[in-house]
Amino acid sequence: MKGLVLVKQVPNTDSPFRLNAAATWVDEANLTFGLNDYDRYALEELLRLKDAGKVTEVVVLTVGPERAATALRTCLATGADRAIHVKDDALQGSDPLSLARVIHAAVKDEGFSLILAGLQADDDNHGQMGGLLARLMDRPCASAALSLALQEGGVIRVERELENNRLQVVDLTLPAVITVQTGINEPRYASLKGIMAAKKKEIRTVGLKDLGLDAGQVGGKAARLKTLRLAPPPKGKGAEMLQGPADKVAQEILRRIREKTGVV
Amino acid sequence: MGAKILVLAEHEGGAIREITWELLGLAHRLAGEAGWNAAEIKALILGQGVEGPAGEIAGRGAAEVIYGEGPALRNYTGDGYDRAIEAIVKSEAPEMLLIGHTPDGWDVAPLISAGLGVPLATECSAIALQGGKARLTRKVFNGKFVQEIDLGDARPLLATVQKGAAAPFAGRTQGQVRKVTAAVGDADLRARFVEVKKGEAGAVDLTQASVIVSGGRGLGGAEKFSVVRALAEALGGQVGASRPVTDMGWLPHEHQIGSSGVTVSPKLYIACGISGAIQHIVGMRGSGYIVAINKDAEAPIFGVADVGVVGDLFEVLPALTKAIKEAKGQA
Repeated sequence: MKGLVLVKQVPNTDSPFRLNAAATWVDEANLTFGLNDYDRYALEELLRLKDAGKVTEVVVLTVGPERAATALRTCLATGADRAIHVKDDALQGSDPLSLARVIHAAVKDEGFSLILAGLQADDDNHGQMGGLLARLMDRPCASAALSLALQEGGVIRVERELENNRLQVVDLTLPAVITVQTGINEPRYASLKGIMAAKKKEIRTVGLKDLGLDAGQVGGKAARLKTLRLAPPPKGKGAEMLQGPADKVAQEILRRIREKTGVV
Repeated sequence: MGAKILVLAEHEGGAIREITWELLGLAHRLAGEAGWNAAEIKALILGQGVEGPAGEIAGRGAAEVIYGEGPALRNYTGDGYDRAIEAIVKSEAPEMLLIGHTPDGWDVAPLISAGLGVPLATECSAIALQGGKARLTRKVFNGKFVQEIDLGDARPLLATVQKGAAAPFAGRTQGQVRKVTAAVGDADLRARFVEVKKGEAGAVDLTQASVIVSGGRGLGGAEKFSVVRALAEALGGQVGASRPVTDMGWLPHEHQIGSSGVTVSPKLYIACGISGAIQHIVGMRGSGYIVAINKDAEAPIFGVADVGVVGDLFEVLPALTKAIKEAKGQA
């Protein structure tokens, strides 16, 4: 049984974020990038199935510019067997649905029984890709998994995170797509041996032409979800900001807590 | 008459979830902006034996409630809901389909998006209709920025809407309920509901606490939580946490506050080293008085706090703990 993890390279959350000149996205020049946090958990989950002898091959796939190959290299060093990098300038500005069509074209003949993805990416926060791909492939899907367990008879049992510390338990018939919530496991880190081994592993780079796709139908030009602008979040009423040495600030906070809450 | 706006109702145990009334409130506001008749606002409810809840929605916001009925819809599965919803949307051809950004709403919406071939805007905090175009507001980079998007000429406009983004519909309507047989049979399902169960049980019940002192990633490690614990103790409160803290195992999951943890509303909430990702904010913004301490002046938490300090936690928290103990005569 072959397994796939969809991964994405995203800006590290402690990067210095600034808007680009057109205020349509962030200025990438100042950012450092890494593997999307949710995807580390998804990869770990599939590597565990391989360790248990239930999955024979772990493949990772990303869509992104040249720099995204680094995220694939991280996955290979962590234990993935091979990687697919979909890279094409025409994909710049794609919306999630057209990206899902591209990924569908790249994976449809691979015969993956299990496809995992992170619940969402830390940059665009869409949280759609797993479901979009599942529907395009006509497979069942479950999102926000906090536990996965293969059952007899080609079924995988998923515990989905609900609100207020509750879980929905659902059985999916394989092949299936599942998105993974953080905290499902403790992701491993790449070992030195893994980093060395990764150098020999394959990263296959494919463009739209290789996938038999037309840039007019799937890329940035075909996007219907378009960013009009990005802005800092509205401050709402905004906090009253206190300044000064810690002791003085502490007294100011205490005075307000007494006046406003009566808990002291 | 077809629907202009179709709202997906959510229900559990015979009760309508609050998000449904909020979506109906939003639908009435948008219909007003677009000049659509309120008679073209419809709701969709799926299930079995939910005539009661369906009638309730017809009385509070929907001109018509389409009740998709069948054993495949007895419990939520993405597979069953997706197929039933797609069939109804195709026959109603609405301008807009609104879904709650809830665990189930977020689960099914991408399936509908790909099935109908229309783009999806998730976790919208605001939607406006201007001159036939929709402008949707959502957060990106975990709340560091808000993004305004449009969905072009795609119809229906498909969005999941954040909880609390719209005021619930409070009026009365005299709508009809129309029952339709689900377009999906029980035997067709490739996703089988097993059960809903409680997550790992904990000794802490933050929902009842009147004071909560929460720590985030900014603390830097499990051992650093002592400054948070000391302050919570001085205030007679409980210790809370943001998701990264429980994911990294600094504190057990039961301490997690936010959309995937518990929702709290203490009299006093002190956020320490928590940047304020939307997932955290939705779980604590109902608190009576919010104090935020963070080294990053741009942290979104300051947008919801009443009072904020840009500073070093390891100076401010001990100073505050000391001040509180003195005030209580315990020093």
